[in-house]
Amino acid sequence: MDSLIQYLISSFSLGGLYALMTLGLVVVYGILRLINFAYGELVMVAGYGLLLFGNTDLAWPLVALFSIIAAIVAAVIMERVAFRPVRFGSANTMLITSFAVSTLLQNVTLLAISPRPQAVRLPSFFVESITAGNLRLRIVDLASIVVSVLALVVLTVLVRRTTIGIALRAAADDFTMTRLLGVRANLLISVAFAISGLLAGIVAIFWVGRSSLVEPAVGLQPVLIAFIAAVVGGMENLKGAVLGGYLLGFLWVGLQTWLPQAMLDYRNAVLFGIVIVILLIRPEGLIRPVYSRERR
Amino acid sequence: MALLDVEDLHVRYGAIVALRGMSLTVNQGEIVGLIGVNGAGKSTTMKAIMQVVRPERGTITYEGQSLIGMTPENVVRRGIAPVMEGRRIFPALTIEENLRLGAAIRNDRDGIKADMDKWCQFFPILGERLAKPAGTLSGGQQQMLAVARGLMSRPKLVLMDEPSLGLSPKLVGEVFGLIAELRGLGVTILLIEQNVRMTLNIVDRAYLVNTGRVEFVGTPDEIRQHADLEQAYLGGGRAAASVRTASGG
Amino acid sequence: MSGSARRSPLAQIAITSVILCGILIIIGLLTNTFGDRVLVRVVTVLFINVVLTVALQIFMGNSGLSSFGHIAFMAIGAYSSLWFTLTPEEKNRTLPDMPETWIMHGWHTDFLPAILLAGGVAAVVGGLLGVALVRLRGASFTIATFAFLIVVHTVALNWDPMTRGSRTVFGIPDLTTLWIALGAALIVVVAGLLFRESPVGLRLRAARDDEDAAASIGIHIAWVRWVAWISSVFIAGAAGALWAHFITTFSPAAFYISETFVVVAMLIIGGSGSVSGAVLGAVLVSLSSEWLRRLEGWLNQHRSDGTIIGQLIPIELRGFAEIVIAIAMIIILIKRPAGLTGGREVGWDSFGPRRTVPPGMPIANVPASAQE
Repeated sequence: MDSLIQYLISSFSLGGLYALMTLGLVVVYGILRLINFAYGELVMVAGYGLLLFGNTDLAWPLVALFSIIAAIVAAVIMERVAFRPVRFGSANTMLITSFAVSTLLQNVTLLAISPRPQAVRLPSFFVESITAGNLRLRIVDLASIVVSVLALVVLTVLVRRTTIGIALRAAADDFTMTRLLGVRANLLISVAFAISGLLAGIVAIFWVGRSSLVEPAVGLQPVLIAFIAAVVGGMENLKGAVLGGYLLGFLWVGLQTWLPQAMLDYRNAVLFGIVIVILLIRPEGLIRPVYSRERR
Repeated sequence: MALLDVEDLHVRYGAIVALRGMSLTVNQGEIVGLIGVNGAGKSTTMKAIMQVVRPERGTITYEGQSLIGMTPENVVRRGIAPVMEGRRIFPALTIEENLRLGAAIRNDRDGIKADMDKWCQFFPILGERLAKPAGTLSGGQQQMLAVARGLMSRPKLVLMDEPSLGLSPKLVGEVFGLIAELRGLGVTILLIEQNVRMTLNIVDRAYLVNTGRVEFVGTPDEIRQHADLEQAYLGGGRAAASVRTASGG
Repeated sequence: MSGSARRSPLAQIAITSVILCGILIIIGLLTNTFGDRVLVRVVTVLFINVVLTVALQIFMGNSGLSSFGHIAFMAIGAYSSLWFTLTPEEKNRTLPDMPETWIMHGWHTDFLPAILLAGGVAAVVGGLLGVALVRLRGASFTIATFAFLIVVHTVALNWDPMTRGSRTVFGIPDLTTLWIALGAALIVVVAGLLFRESPVGLRLRAARDDEDAAASIGIHIAWVRWVAWISSVFIAGAAGALWAHFITTFSPAAFYISETFVVVAMLIIGGSGSVSGAVLGAVLVSLSSEWLRRLEGWLNQHRSDGTIIGQLIPIELRGFAEIVIAIAMIIILIKRPAGLTGGREVGWDSFGPRRTVPPGMPIANVPASAQE
């Protein structure tokens, strides 16, 4: 029983982060049909934000806030500088551009900061645990569960209640028609990128919090997971992204808990093998939207 | 002064020429028909006005200002609402959300609410199913939603592309009835249709379009007087070419 | 050159082959005559890069699909060439975890057959994967190839008997000379040009430009894609074998995301639509990254000297070449998405229809993917 609770908490904690991460990828894909390879670098930006702001006298909540803002700004600038000029090119051109942006940001960080992992100053609760009976629960896990659920609720309200949120969902289905209702394309795309940056920033805090280290490749593993979860959940589907993220969290912790050590090293191979298989049998993802149709 | 004035419009899709000198005028308060067979250039005209496709040359003037080079959203923000071919509603969004997006360019909360109520009374089925996904509506109901959504922006000019397409005869009648009613509300309409008879019943003037340009323009009576014309546009594109001499331009 | 009669495709291929091969041969001869040992190494890598980039071009350029997985096939080729060329004694040193009882352990062959076999292994793996892959489109295809890169990387990191895991394999015989690399580049360039104008290549390009139209005139799209894919990964595997026997020591880290980026960058900068573009990109990127690396080293040296130039450099420079290449690539994608060659072959007397956006095409500020 205890081990089950432990498993559930670990899974919900990790799954929540994956869900946010996947959502950040899918919210942009929905509108631009761009799989943003540079998404992991937004996590990196926020991670280094934690490092740089953490070395100042700022209170930690402000450090976290500024780091998230840094990721949002980076996302919006990324769109403005690199993606907007190629928006009218082929989908391939955008994809390759994002790959180039990713490499560029990685290497700039390597150059300007350091290729080595660096320790981030975190508040003590990140490493503390509480004990309840036989359970030892890490506070950071509990916090990430709460924060990810909170973020999902806020986002749900945003895409259900606000005009821009409704427009985001509409544009994922038919971008041209959305514009033909007077919704400004540039604004909408900027908002999508800002949301993407916000989510990457939140994820970064907990992701970096798990190891207390930040390095240029810090965003790689989460973005790879987000790719898988997005494929599993169906690239255009926000609900699917959340489900896919949680599913991956449960799967990952499950593999971690129950796979023998020798197999554990092949975890990535297994997961990405699954991606290929899913893409082959159901290219539109496991979770299909009810009202789908040919894209215009 | 004309509300919308299109002059000598040329549009090409790669090697395919879609419009070759299309010209038309829509005056305030009119319902104007744009009639022609498939491929005559009707929808391209509409897309060019909305700036979804880029004309090779020609002018599009609306309220005295050129629309050329604007973004589609800015065309909409000047008061033109398109009801596109194939309805183009958002099936996964609720009917209410579809209508709300129709009012995306407006900020008057109360006004939007009032308009939504107004159209829900006009189309009771929409009002009944406000919270349901639009994809659950039948084809005719989706057409109503598309029209209502277009009107939510309080446009000065509505462009409608084949609102009767794919509807049962009974529904076609309803849609045309609706368009006629809209005139009473003071909306100016450019109606693109293949259905000649029904269109001539409700429009003030109509343009007969073939192979990318206007073949004939006149009031419904003038068009009906040319039996050969009506025949050509009912019968298909082949016969239309022989009409040119008869119509005299 | 309007007015003059169009030359036949074969004549066109011959002209382009002569020009491209001539340039590569001249680079080879100049290097051999005037170059020091370091330059010979640089140019050998350049030729291997030409092989790899043309391999990528054969698929990406003709099909219009982006593969981020070719480096995985290069890895497969590199490791399998070890299995094929090393003698049992050498295997005991280089791959100490491989059980001596395995057939693989006892068997070995010469370099040339090993290169072909390495390509063959890549082609078999790629062929199986390809059966399924060719059904995917656009971004799904690219994600699937990227996923495959990660699968292969993970397997290479962990399959100790065959790859020595994450540790470096060493003691690989140094068999890839400047001339062998040049020879491979020449063969692949001509093969790429022939493929482009072959019935499969022409059909594939028709499908790239308009999938529905191509299908409607009876082109079996999956089949032509598969043929291009398997040819492409065969060459990538062979390039891996050449590289393994040039570098003589490597680990799985040599075949991952940044290497994928470099080869994609070569193709995109040169222009993915033509073999000339692949060659130009490979030559430009190889030489400029070498030059940038030297510049970086020189600047860093002065920095530690504390001379005047050094004092201008506040931080130790790293990854200079990657940064410059990435920026160059982004600028090219924005300003000239078809690459420096614009997708044209050098020496062709007709450049074909101009690929500018014609009027009537959907307007630029609508995302391509969101257009009707």
